[in-house]
Amino acid sequence: MTAAHGRPARAMAAPGVRAALVALLAGALCLALAPRFAWLGQWPDAWTLPLTQWAGTAVTWLLEAIKPLAREFSALMRHPMDWANLALHATPWPITIGVTAALGWYLGGFAMAALGAVGLGFVVASGYWTESMNTLALVAVSVPLALVVGGAIGILANEMPRLKPPVQALLDVMQTVPTFAYLTPLMLLFGFGPVVGLIASAIYAAPPMARNVLLALERVDPEIREAAVMSGATRAQQLFQVEIPSGASQIMVGVNQCLMAALSMVIIAAVIGGFNDIGWEVLLTMRKAQFGQSLLAGLVIVVFAVVIDRYSGTLAGERRRHDRRVVYLLLALSVVLTALFWSSLADAATFHVLTPVAEAVDRSLTAFTIANGATLDAIKNNAMFFGLLPLRIGLDQAVLPFTWGFAWTGTMSWALFAVAAVLCLLLIWRGRPAAGLMAMIAAGMLETGIADLPWPFVLIGTAALGWVAAGWRLALLSLVLLSSILLSGLFGRALMSLYLSGAAVFACALVGGAVGWLAAVSPLAWRLVRPLCDMLQTIPLFVFLIPVLMFFQIGEFSAFLAICAYAVVPMIRYTRHGLVSTPPDLIEAAAASGATDAQIMRDIRVPYAAPTILLGLNQTILYAFAMLVIAALIGTTGLGQSIYLALGQADVGLGVSAGAAMAILALLADRIVQGFAAERRRALGL
Amino acid sequence: MSRATPPVIACQNVWQVFGPNAKAALADALARSGGDPQAAAGLLGAAGLIPAVQDATFEVGEGELFVIMGLSGSGKSTLVRCIAQLLEGTSGEISIEGENVVGAGKQRLTRLRREKMGMVFQHFGLFPHMTVAENVAYPLRVQGVDRKRRRARAQEVITLVGLQGREGAYPRELSGGQRQRVGIARSLAVNPGIWFLDEPFSALDPLIRRQLQDEFLNIQGKLRKSIIFITHDIAEALKLADRIAIMRDGRIVQIGTPTDIVLRPVDDYVREFSRDVPKGRHARVASVMQPTDRCRPGPDDPGLRQGMTLDVALARCMDLYEPVPVWDDRGACVGAVNPADLAAALQVEDT
Amino acid sequence: MRKAYPGLAAAAVAAFAGGASAAELGASGEPIKLAINEWTGQHVTTRVAGEMLKAAGYEVEYVTAGMMNQFQAIADGDIHATLEIWSSNVSDEYAKKVAEGTVVELGDLGLDAKEGIAYPAHVADLCPGLPDWKALKDCAQVFATADTIPLGRLVDYPADWGTPGADRMAGFDLPFKAVPAGSEGALIAELRASSERKSPLLITFWQPHWAMSAYDVKFVDLPVGNEECFNDPAWGVNPDATHDCDFAPSRIFKGGWAGLEEKWPAAYQILTNYQLSVEDQQPMMGAIDVDGGSVEDVVAAWMSQNEDKWRPVVDAATK
Repeated sequence: MTAAHGRPARAMAAPGVRAALVALLAGALCLALAPRFAWLGQWPDAWTLPLTQWAGTAVTWLLEAIKPLAREFSALMRHPMDWANLALHATPWPITIGVTAALGWYLGGFAMAALGAVGLGFVVASGYWTESMNTLALVAVSVPLALVVGGAIGILANEMPRLKPPVQALLDVMQTVPTFAYLTPLMLLFGFGPVVGLIASAIYAAPPMARNVLLALERVDPEIREAAVMSGATRAQQLFQVEIPSGASQIMVGVNQCLMAALSMVIIAAVIGGFNDIGWEVLLTMRKAQFGQSLLAGLVIVVFAVVIDRYSGTLAGERRRHDRRVVYLLLALSVVLTALFWSSLADAATFHVLTPVAEAVDRSLTAFTIANGATLDAIKNNAMFFGLLPLRIGLDQAVLPFTWGFAWTGTMSWALFAVAAVLCLLLIWRGRPAAGLMAMIAAGMLETGIADLPWPFVLIGTAALGWVAAGWRLALLSLVLLSSILLSGLFGRALMSLYLSGAAVFACALVGGAVGWLAAVSPLAWRLVRPLCDMLQTIPLFVFLIPVLMFFQIGEFSAFLAICAYAVVPMIRYTRHGLVSTPPDLIEAAAASGATDAQIMRDIRVPYAAPTILLGLNQTILYAFAMLVIAALIGTTGLGQSIYLALGQADVGLGVSAGAAMAILALLADRIVQGFAAERRRALGL
Repeated sequence: MSRATPPVIACQNVWQVFGPNAKAALADALARSGGDPQAAAGLLGAAGLIPAVQDATFEVGEGELFVIMGLSGSGKSTLVRCIAQLLEGTSGEISIEGENVVGAGKQRLTRLRREKMGMVFQHFGLFPHMTVAENVAYPLRVQGVDRKRRRARAQEVITLVGLQGREGAYPRELSGGQRQRVGIARSLAVNPGIWFLDEPFSALDPLIRRQLQDEFLNIQGKLRKSIIFITHDIAEALKLADRIAIMRDGRIVQIGTPTDIVLRPVDDYVREFSRDVPKGRHARVASVMQPTDRCRPGPDDPGLRQGMTLDVALARCMDLYEPVPVWDDRGACVGAVNPADLAAALQVEDT
Repeated sequence: MRKAYPGLAAAAVAAFAGGASAAELGASGEPIKLAINEWTGQHVTTRVAGEMLKAAGYEVEYVTAGMMNQFQAIADGDIHATLEIWSSNVSDEYAKKVAEGTVVELGDLGLDAKEGIAYPAHVADLCPGLPDWKALKDCAQVFATADTIPLGRLVDYPADWGTPGADRMAGFDLPFKAVPAGSEGALIAELRASSERKSPLLITFWQPHWAMSAYDVKFVDLPVGNEECFNDPAWGVNPDATHDCDFAPSRIFKGGWAGLEEKWPAAYQILTNYQLSVEDQQPMMGAIDVDGGSVEDVVAAWMSQNEDKWRPVVDAATK
């Protein structure tokens, strides 16, 4: 790699060409030999190791060993939870709203105060006040826990640079292993009840805090750091008096992300139960396929997320000072109102103002499905026949008389390869040999289908990709990790997951890129898209499973849509952000050179935004994998289903192995895309 | 400069090499090159290491204002960080007030910094979350000085740098010049004997820069600290320095008074620096006169003093063709100078 | 599909038949925690039991708990009883805990459950000949979708409940592909969409369930089978396969913490002897899910009107 970097342009392609050639060769060999050697196409069961069982035994043993300690901790955590619960439930709801509004005013003036008051007003009207307070109590304990743990991890990694790589890996694992996969072990460890949800959400919420603390500490201006040293401060004084406070705004970004992550995870943890929180309510209504009610319960969570996000977001920026007197006024007002109407103050749980609205939503869903049944079926069938099925099982099996109107023949396969070969030669002639070879590989994959890809090709292809993206270390890592999936016998399921999330990522890249571009060009479009993005990211996704299911029934297409709905958001955000943040002097220089708006977009803004867009793609990939597990509630095969099976059966080994396989796929995709993004950034000198 | 007192800072063969196993690599390179620093640096560079400071040796006397000048990347900031022990030097000896500080433990270094050193940074290095007063008092706070005493002391230094009235402001509310005044005040809070200034005025506008330079000289006139001052601006170096060390690619290529640098550059590199410097304003008569104690003052003796700049001297004896005597401050004759030599000295860089 | 513990069940029934004698209340100052699972019928069942315990002088606490994940909590004594376990849908965890001795079965609930291959009533028009299973042979195409073409589509239980639907399709050699639903919600959404759009649907389902009447769901008639049907391919209409018969009847039973009997002897007796019939449960479910009543009110009303049905069980344990 290093040698190639020195030479510009053409030579950059060199490792790419070599890698593509290797992958192509591996694929062609597999394709040619597969009829003779069945083991090439499918990893024989006889070769798998009982890794799943070993994992189960090892983890169970480990859990038993630390169980007493964990139970102590569990008992300890119950106290703050009880206090939070008591405080939130004992406070009359008008006072809670008043305090929230006062806090909002203190943080961000009128807009924030209004947001808080209206938001909590909605919660009261929804009739989910009690459940919401339960959820809040959980968040109120899990977030400080996550902040402390995350902060400690961040500081530790900063103080011992040697620990950075393992800590980064640990954080990746904490964020990519689906929560469902470790719910069972957590329950074994901590016993039944809200503490499990608390720990699960703390596990998920700690990494963003740790990353931001580490980032904040790394970004402290070296002169500020040196100034502290030269002032004669000890290491602890430097850290706590200078470095951490001066990185406060970055750390606040971490606090914000930590809050959001904890909130989203509290809902997931509701599957276990034990707390009668709002997530449980969502699950109950979803089980009855009551879309209106579950949407209402879901929106309560969105309201909390938005209020918490905006409130904590003000901490990250520079704060204006708002009149304290208003704070006292709001507090006093809520107390006075409560006292005045004490006797006639209704129990918050008895409000059902919004029930008719929920029912109306439900009815309109029914009306819509009845009216558009045929159209919906057509959409689904076309997407399946011409998109998803060929991608999964290949053209040779997907093209059938009753889907495409004709049968796929051997001649057609040859024709496909011939077209690809011509395209390949054309591209090589145009000086883009890597792209040409990729065309050949794509043709081969289209013919075979992702779910039927021979394992040697997947291993070698991924390793080659990793090598191009980030050097031989990544290539080796991907070989080792993928082999472990192979050996555990989960490879078939992993490929199914790869296919589904791959299709979703592809669709998200197209749609999200386009929408992000639109939002970058038109502020009006962004004003419309932004709240939608907020909602898609914070509403518990269970809620959307119902309409998707009613429109498109159980099956891959529904799962595909559910994944897209969630994973498209980062693509939109990052694309817009990348395009918008092109330095103005670059644009001015281009405009001064006589470039049209379209040319500026194509030649300046898009290339400049490329690393940011790649990061968005990276996030999209991670989100798609995360959503796979939720999509399993619709009914998919693949790793997501394995994780559910394991959760239902309390099979620790399967859960851990499938979760690990999922994390491995996500990690490799992450590393490869990051590698390319870093490459682009270097090329741009950023 | 006279050396009545022992040096406050002494550096002996200081090396700072960046890269894996720098210590061993340096020892190896020195062994292979037979101790020749330049050859050793070449070997290190070829092996992929970066010899940022090579074999630096110099001393700074008490009350001396020692300027290290060089272009960016020449290693001057690295060198001052070695001396301040912000970086652990790869090899060589550094002593502060006669006390060797290489390999000193954390506690000893902290004590040293609390008692003896102050530092000013190019981009000020102010703590964004503290007010001016809190920034300035911070070196006292870490020592555990009580609030009242540290506020009083902070007020003193804030007044010294002319920032009274802005004590409660945050750094972001100040202009660049004001920020650096805070930086200067903070570095003086503990009244250290040694003062490091790392390009303190480089980030400022030219007008502000000159104003601060003058004030700096003013403060130094009162406090007489032992100073290492880093700059990349030859004019600044010549204006402030008692002595100047010029660095290039990690090496100190010349150490001398401003006059030495201007009139007797050791090589083309140094000459190139002083090329645009109006020599007449920096070089002094003493540097071009022939020492003698037998003066023959003529009737039109222009009364040259040895501390006069060449410009002033030349203006006085432009129309004379004979050597004229040079006197010291007490009126004793110290030498003679030919006006033609004065004129030639101003042209020195054109050769 | 887990057919569990006929032996245990027999023992429990015997205990009931033999008549129970009065027992000590035990630690009546400490609340007995009953699991609230994810479905309405279970809420009714649990509330009734809870009210009975209160009538006997106990404190009761209701704790929400996932059906699949509650057994660890019961084994740890964090929850003391769960009152509606379906043999068709119980995690292996339960068997493990029973074998361990940390969870005990508390006998049948008495709900008469049935599982089977089902369809919303309107589907009979699309596939004439239903409910006879043989009709499915010829109208598989009607049920075909993009995922299953050319086979018909059967929506099966979520994968973690087992694959009884797929087993039947193989058993009867029907041209259907079983698609596992991801959750109960997915099953209901399928039923709802089908009955609203009048589209074809074949689904594995069970009763008692509020959706049976809400969407007018019918069962396909399958030949009644016995033990041999599941073991011997030769048995039944298809000589080459097992599972060529209707579902074996599901048991619905109760389970509890192993320490229950010792700590609250009378409560243990009440919970063991407690029974609830479909005729009692189904109307309450309707009053909640269809008419929008709260569980508390509906159960309280039933308790006051049907004292003869539950009071004897309480009295037998306490007097």
